Amino acid sequence: MREKLEQLRNGALQAIATASAVEQLQEIRVCLLGRKGELTALMKGLGSLPTDERPIVGQLVNTVRDEIESALTAAIESAQAELIADRLQSERVDISLPGRRPLKGTKHPVSLVIEEICSIFAGLGFSVAEGPEIEHDWYNFEALNFPPEHPARDMQDTFFVENNLLLRTHTSPVQIRTMLKQKPPVRIIAPGTVYRCDSDATHSPMFHQIEGLMVDSKVTFGDLKGILTVFTNQLFGQKTGVRLRPSYFPFTEPSAEVDIACVICGGKGCRVCKNSGWLEILGAGMVDPEVYRHVQYDAENISGFAFGMGIERIAMLKYGISDMRLLFENDVRFLRQF
Amino acid sequence: MNVTYNWLKEFVDFDETPDELAALLTMLGLEVETMEKLGEGFDDVVVALVEEKRQHPNADKLSVCRVNNGTEILDVVCGAQNFSQGDTVVLAQIGAVLPGDFKIKKSKIRGEESCGMLCSEKELGLAEESAGIIVLPPAIAPLGTPIFAALGRKDTLFEIGLTPNRSDCLSALGIARDIAAKLGSKLKYSKSALVEGTQTVESLIGVTIESPELCPRYAARHISGCTIAPSPEWLIKRLNSIGIRSINNVVDVTNLIMMELGQPLHAFDCDRLSGKRIVVRTAGEGELFTTLDNQQHILTVADLVICDAERPVALAGVMGGLNSEIENTTTSILLESAFFKPSAIRKTSKRLGLHTESSHRFERGIDIDNVSRALDRAAYLIVELAGGVAAQGSIDVYPGEYVRPAIMFRPVKANELIGINLERDVILDILTRLECQVSASTDGAVEVIPPFYRIDIEREIDLIEEIARLNGYDKIPATMPIARVVSDRPSRHQEIEKSVRDLLVNNGMTEVINFSFTAPDAAVKLLLKEDDPRRLAIKLANPLVDEQSVMKTTLLPGLLETVARNMNFRSLDLKLFEMRRVYLPGVGDDMPREPLCIVGALSGSRDGDGWSRPTEPVDFFDAKGIVETILDYLDIGGVSWRTESPESYFHPGKSCRVFAGRDCIGSVGELHPSVQKNFEIEKPVFCFELDFEKLVTLARTKKTIAAPSRFPDSSRDIAMLIPEELAAVKIIDCIKAEKAKEIEHVQIFDVYRGKGVPEGFKSIAVRIRYRSYERTLTEEEITALHKKIITNLVDKLQVTLR
Repeated sequence: MREKLEQLRNGALQAIATASAVEQLQEIRVCLLGRKGELTALMKGLGSLPTDERPIVGQLVNTVRDEIESALTAAIESAQAELIADRLQSERVDISLPGRRPLKGTKHPVSLVIEEICSIFAGLGFSVAEGPEIEHDWYNFEALNFPPEHPARDMQDTFFVENNLLLRTHTSPVQIRTMLKQKPPVRIIAPGTVYRCDSDATHSPMFHQIEGLMVDSKVTFGDLKGILTVFTNQLFGQKTGVRLRPSYFPFTEPSAEVDIACVICGGKGCRVCKNSGWLEILGAGMVDPEVYRHVQYDAENISGFAFGMGIERIAMLKYGISDMRLLFENDVRFLRQF
Repeated sequence: MNVTYNWLKEFVDFDETPDELAALLTMLGLEVETMEKLGEGFDDVVVALVEEKRQHPNADKLSVCRVNNGTEILDVVCGAQNFSQGDTVVLAQIGAVLPGDFKIKKSKIRGEESCGMLCSEKELGLAEESAGIIVLPPAIAPLGTPIFAALGRKDTLFEIGLTPNRSDCLSALGIARDIAAKLGSKLKYSKSALVEGTQTVESLIGVTIESPELCPRYAARHISGCTIAPSPEWLIKRLNSIGIRSINNVVDVTNLIMMELGQPLHAFDCDRLSGKRIVVRTAGEGELFTTLDNQQHILTVADLVICDAERPVALAGVMGGLNSEIENTTTSILLESAFFKPSAIRKTSKRLGLHTESSHRFERGIDIDNVSRALDRAAYLIVELAGGVAAQGSIDVYPGEYVRPAIMFRPVKANELIGINLERDVILDILTRLECQVSASTDGAVEVIPPFYRIDIEREIDLIEEIARLNGYDKIPATMPIARVVSDRPSRHQEIEKSVRDLLVNNGMTEVINFSFTAPDAAVKLLLKEDDPRRLAIKLANPLVDEQSVMKTTLLPGLLETVARNMNFRSLDLKLFEMRRVYLPGVGDDMPREPLCIVGALSGSRDGDGWSRPTEPVDFFDAKGIVETILDYLDIGGVSWRTESPESYFHPGKSCRVFAGRDCIGSVGELHPSVQKNFEIEKPVFCFELDFEKLVTLARTKKTIAAPSRFPDSSRDIAMLIPEELAAVKIIDCIKAEKAKEIEHVQIFDVYRGKGVPEGFKSIAVRIRYRSYERTLTEEEITALHKKIITNLVDKLQVTLR
């Protein structure tokens, strides 16, 4: 019995040592340790031994089995490791080939800029308001203090539709519609499509604006400057200087044109800013009391500011686009870059 | 408005350089749009002294001079004879560029070195002809001074973009006035000491105003015995410097005064005025009148005309008449200076399309107080330049003299609104500098009467703006407002709009934006039926071009044009969408409706070219898939795809309308070949359209989520032959009709036509996944259920199992 065990042990260890494949080793395990394996058979024979030898041989069988077991485990682990090493050695992909990616589209730059501006103002507590593009003369002009036959109407070449309707020339009528619906405090931003009958390299008959309006109990012109400084800094980067210049809009007073330090040359002077170092990007001012009168607000106890800017102008500055027409040609080679 | 630096200096003293002045004007709200330096580029042409002049050794007609330019002595060879040693001359130094792109270089003339050129007026472009070089008065300027500076010709032209409220600045005087107010310096008015004759003006001419509403003031003078001639050089140069062409001495004076004082004037040939009198009245309806540009106009009762005893002789405030204009033979003049009602002039000028320097000023409002001053100064200049005698006195019909009401003004309010903290005295001083009369008061509000020329100042807020403007916008501190918190979550409409746009972009679609207007024949190109409501587009009354004359009722035309344009540039793989409004006429008196729509167009290959998968063209199901993705995302239920009544612009066999319950919410299809041709598109295009407003109404924002089953699944396939006419969806519906809760998922995984499938049939393979929420299903249970389903399919739809 002892010799048999010894023989089995030696034979097994040799077989394990010479086997290389994991499958071979698994087979050895079955042949020796399996239910019908050799060692199992030997163990079954234990019963036929004299009672005093049983514990000794039994212990020996256990030792042999443990020995074979651990030799097998080690051999299998090393064979598996070798197998992995082989795979790592032999398997290769050409990682320079392009990835298989899902197609992605792009948003139109006008949409991108509108989203960005709305999100900056959302952070300042302004909500988004909208209004019709085919608008009444009253909302587009009269309520904004452009009386009929006023020369200020010449500032905006208007497309007319019948019945005193027109294509809105600015997003400012949304101010009126909002104030008629809601009492102060008002804090809105109104992006939208506007129209002027004018078409050349720098004018498009259709373009986009964003209007802003804030009315509360004690809003100052300095607050307008503060809000616009925060806004332009966020839109164009931290160090953008802001300059307000006196100007005129019928619906604001005092009114201002707002310039930012040229984002192309940083204020040194270049072709884009016509060597002035400044870029005009929006018009603004304190809401004119005449406008409050039209929406039945009490001008004595509230104050507020409004501002408006052209989206295309901002998109052109942000993305360095020199010709506005590119924005409406919708050439996918242009659009896919956004 | 054009004005020059030197001209402004005649009215107000300042030390600012042209660049500084431009910045000052811009920050006053008088935006300097362009600045042109007159006499620019001649900085190398300087004042110099001839220290020594000797005969050229090799040429009889030349001399060699030693010339001092203030810093060095240069040798210059010269051919002119009209100067001598010790004369002050004009030296073009090396590097100077003279008119005609003539560059001055160092050269050798007959063996003698020459470091420059002594110039004549002709060579500097100052005169047509000149006999010799310029000899300047001795010590005109330090040696080395650029010649234009020395001659006082150096000037800067400012082109100022005026806002419509600042009519007071439509003159050199007006701009100077604002500079004086800003700097706190005194304004200098030009002198005009008119010497009048003995004959009284009333004995020569008469003025009657029949429409004092439209013409509150009319003043006139009479000058006889003058001679129409070219203007003197100074006047021509002044007018030229601001871009006005010289006509003759009298007309030039009227133009000069308009540009200097802002008062448009008109000079009539008095001998051509019937009855030697002026009547200001409205025109008769249909009255004909020929303006001096030889254009005939048909007038209306709203037009104000200046007439003589018989007929109109000028269109008031707009343009004079051909019948009374100044001619070379004119000797007696009636000079008009008047104030017309702004809105009346604007109406006439707009209706007749006659926009003149004169109408521009009248329609914005001139200074009624300045009427007689301008008249006197013009008469003075005419007598100076054209000779003749001005009659004694002037006619000035001014029936209801204007009085400006006082404005209640609170300095505290100005500080509050602007966000500054100026002393009361500082604020009141600003108003005084603006020539406002400020009533004395020690507390609270003051009464302010603005000057006549500031017609834009009527209210307290107008004065507050002046405080902000004169004090300087740059002095206002940037502060953050103190505000009340309000709830500002985006509306459902806005949130869904953004998420659908994101969804489309993330599914490979590129957004385009086309104009909201289109051509009237777009409906025809889309083959829309005669009674299609989309043919009723809103028309523009004044379109720029016919192709942009009606508002879109569908976004398709613009998108299809975009497809065609891109294909022309060989961009053939297109996945485009547009999410914009369409414009539908309102019913009755209602405003037009502007619902938001979504359209998409797909063409070319599905995934683009690549190495890893075959290139496949897009088809109907790509377009349908996008729509399904959107509907799924918005959790819109009860969707059906219907083929009856297809859209006219789609292929009837490859299109459908999309319904959610009973609502038609859009359509999907391949573009009709004829429409494809109408839009000049070369390849097939698959489109979809969705009514976004309906999507918003139908979208379910509350989703119910089920926990997944923890038991194993089992899938069984069924392959069957069905007739071509039978829609695949019927198979699915039939399976689902069993309503067994063990059916977890049903999926069509193959559709096949061809070998082994008889003509008129298609082979469909369906996979059903079974699973229970309660337990592991047994083979027997599944087989029984599956058999039942197959029996249903065979019985109800007569499918043939394969």
